[in-house]
Amino acid sequence: MTSDLVRYARRGTASIVTLSGEIDLANAPTIGREIVDVVPGDGAVLIDLTGVSFLDSAGVRLLDALVGDLDDHGRVVRFVVGETGAARMTLQLCAFRDDLLATDLDKAAEELND
Amino acid sequence: MSEWDVTQDLRVPWEEDPGELYEHAPCGYLSTLPDGTIVKVNGTFLAWTGYDRAELIGRRRFRDLLSSGGQIYHETHYAPLLRMQDDVHEVAFDLIRADGERLPALINSVLSRDPAGNPRLIRTTVFNATERRGYERELLHARRTAEASERRIKVLQEIVAELSAAATELEVAVAVVRAPQLAFEATSSSIWVIDENRERLVAVPQSAAAPPSPTAPDPADPATGRDDIPLTSGRAVAEVFRRGELQVIGSPEEAGKEFGELAETMRQAGHSAIVLLPLTAGLAGDDGRGMLVFGFAEPRELSDSELRVVRVLGQQAGQALDRGRLYDQARRDEERATFLAETTRVLDETPRLTARTKALVERLVPEIADWATVRLQVGPNGLLANAGGPAPEPQRLARRISEVTLSAEPQWPDPAGPDQGCAVLPLTARGRVLGTLALRLPVARRTATEIAFLTDLADRAGLALENARLYEQERAIARTLQRNLLAGHMPRDSRFVVETHYHAAAQDLEVGGDWFDAFMITPDKLAIAVGDVVGRGIEAATTMGQLRSAIRALASAEAGPAKVLRKLDRFVERVETARMATVAYAEVDLHAGTMTYACAGHLPPLLHEPASPARYLLGARSAPLGSRAGRRDRHEETVRLPAGSRVLLYTDGLVERRDRTIDRGLDLMAREWARRRELPMPGLTAGFADLMVGREHSDDVCLLCFMIGAEDKLERTIGADPVQIALLRADLRGWLESREVDRECAQAVLLACSEAVANAIEHGYRDDPFGKVEVVASVSDTTVEVRVADKGEWRVAQGDVARGRGLQLIRQVMDHVSFDRSAGTVVTMRRSRKGAS
Repeated sequence: MTSDLVRYARRGTASIVTLSGEIDLANAPTIGREIVDVVPGDGAVLIDLTGVSFLDSAGVRLLDALVGDLDDHGRVVRFVVGETGAARMTLQLCAFRDDLLATDLDKAAEELND
Repeated sequence: MSEWDVTQDLRVPWEEDPGELYEHAPCGYLSTLPDGTIVKVNGTFLAWTGYDRAELIGRRRFRDLLSSGGQIYHETHYAPLLRMQDDVHEVAFDLIRADGERLPALINSVLSRDPAGNPRLIRTTVFNATERRGYERELLHARRTAEASERRIKVLQEIVAELSAAATELEVAVAVVRAPQLAFEATSSSIWVIDENRERLVAVPQSAAAPPSPTAPDPADPATGRDDIPLTSGRAVAEVFRRGELQVIGSPEEAGKEFGELAETMRQAGHSAIVLLPLTAGLAGDDGRGMLVFGFAEPRELSDSELRVVRVLGQQAGQALDRGRLYDQARRDEERATFLAETTRVLDETPRLTARTKALVERLVPEIADWATVRLQVGPNGLLANAGGPAPEPQRLARRISEVTLSAEPQWPDPAGPDQGCAVLPLTARGRVLGTLALRLPVARRTATEIAFLTDLADRAGLALENARLYEQERAIARTLQRNLLAGHMPRDSRFVVETHYHAAAQDLEVGGDWFDAFMITPDKLAIAVGDVVGRGIEAATTMGQLRSAIRALASAEAGPAKVLRKLDRFVERVETARMATVAYAEVDLHAGTMTYACAGHLPPLLHEPASPARYLLGARSAPLGSRAGRRDRHEETVRLPAGSRVLLYTDGLVERRDRTIDRGLDLMAREWARRRELPMPGLTAGFADLMVGREHSDDVCLLCFMIGAEDKLERTIGADPVQIALLRADLRGWLESREVDRECAQAVLLACSEAVANAIEHGYRDDPFGKVEVVASVSDTTVEVRVADKGEWRVAQGDVARGRGLQLIRQVMDHVSFDRSAGTVVTMRRSRKGAS
């Protein structure tokens, strides 16, 4: 079964992964695998978290691992989070680097394609 | 020439005088006095014995010239006989020559007496009996040899008889190994038999009363002292086995010429001679079955006839081993067939995949292997079952498993490899590698026939596990479908509480068609329903989903329960699987405090008003949905619900039991329900289900309890399953909203509560999947407080950064956090509400 928590799109050379719903201990591993499955082997990755209504530390662990992995391969990654919302709250609490966070999907995508 | 006159001596021309004749006669002459003193002796005697005449005459007695045994015989027999009968004939004596050597002789003596009858002189002739004695000795020897040979034959006959009675290789070996001591007086003997793969000579233990168990340790193990020899070894036993020729070695020095180690062994064991005998069924050595080796402490030469007997023993033993092996094989084949059949049966009778996988490894250890592991590539994390040990080196094992998974080819034990005896087999079914079976075989089982057996076993196991997997998959889909359908958010309102419980059958084999639902029709009108669809599995789960959706679509502010049921009747005309489904449906007017209900073939709702006994709502009954034989005129009835009234909707699994009638079940339920009037709503339905049906029930049970009036506190108990955190969060979110907690605070509380529960599940109940986590949330005007309690063991995982992050998050978003670890862990968290001072 595939969850509808992960959707994939491509804009230029960048991959856009849109996550939605609640991400927690129960589904973070599944979501992680699905992301790995859909993202191609190259290009920047933009992860849109604006539709995420809950994000716990297991979700943070997943995103952290994802950043580590992409960084190791010299690939750029950005998280799009709303001005407010559950995802922004958790990521800020976990002190995610500011350069990883963006608020506007289109702008971030343009930057990555430059 | 005329005939000779033989009445008188012929005088020959060269004959000398009678003195010459006496002196040089072809026998010795002695004359002795009655006391034995030699008085006269001839030259022949002197020449034979090497004495000088002067040494004897008058100086020695006849008896002085005899061996010591002869002297005794002389005293006891010769002398008395002579005195009695005056002559003695052909008495055998050994004379002792001047040089000390013995001269075997035959003695004749005559005693002459004086006229008065007194002994005067003894005349003795001595014949040289050297050759005659030799002949006698030979005769004696031949007789002894014949006796020994007869005894040997007898022993061998006994052993051959034992061999023919021996049913196993081991029994044969035990019989054969005794032969050298019994038949040849050997001081020790050992036996080896060739293993099934013809790779090594396996030593049969001297104390073979205890047969080698299939799980016997490796031959190299010094603790067991087993001395197995690879066939390629340069050791004498292996070399002679390869040649197939009997080898007799007369001394350590002789052994040393060809086999250094054998010479050493002989010296250590104190063997002067050793025999290495190949045990072969035929005459040629190419079908050797084993080796018999026996040694002698004393120097020993084997005669030709003995060697012939040894060879016969080798042949008989070889044939018996052959036969024993066939018997063994037939018995093992039968054992294997039985084991396979039994294993297949056990697997088929074990319904769930996890249990079936476990059953498989438990069948294998210790009967077939001393360690076994099954890995299945199912689900996100795979499935693993272990038994026995110790496990081999994990990295190498992981590599082999992935190789086998990719190639679908088994890897058999590699005697030269680092993990001796470890085999990895693919478990395949319908052309797909489902997983792997890795196991370590004891030495006795690393054989070609065993490999064929294991292949067969893996095939059957693969199929059995695949069937379980398919079944599991279907069950999981049905269960997920059902859970998704049932896990929908229950409506939440300060005016009422809905508490539901789904109790899956203990056997949990197939999903049943029990369901419940509750939803708001209008802001003031709540619908509640419990139903039961005919059938089980995916189809039932799907149908129940359709039915639920249909009710939601058909319910309206105007319709009312009777009309909804009528429309459902039309609906099941199109959805055949929903026919004969039962449903209890009620609409609650929250404003008016009334409930209108209708039952289509379903058990009656149970109403408990404050300060009244519980009672069943027996009105508005009609046949199941789409029934052709039953009454289908749908009615409805309305009852008043005073504040604090509780209504219970349920499925028949709650009251139906084989050992009591449904009336008694209903009576019991009403009584028990009334007794629980003071209990808080959270957990009420779950506890009630436990009470009514116990944990070992065979049917699914579904309950929905509705109470008019709201909860001050949110109290929830969830299982140690991460999936349940989302359900808890949904409840908590709704409750916080109903309590008008601001959004930012609610978000923080939701995060902190989730982390605390995750912590309890991941740490407290790391080893206990059945643990329970209790959550109590309360709100005052100024703060929100959440208490999360588990009864697990608190263990801080070293370096668990992720969990550390969870705790950090709790501390960041909550104003006050405290941990009490006196019994399990209780986390108490508080946060101020916005706008509160």
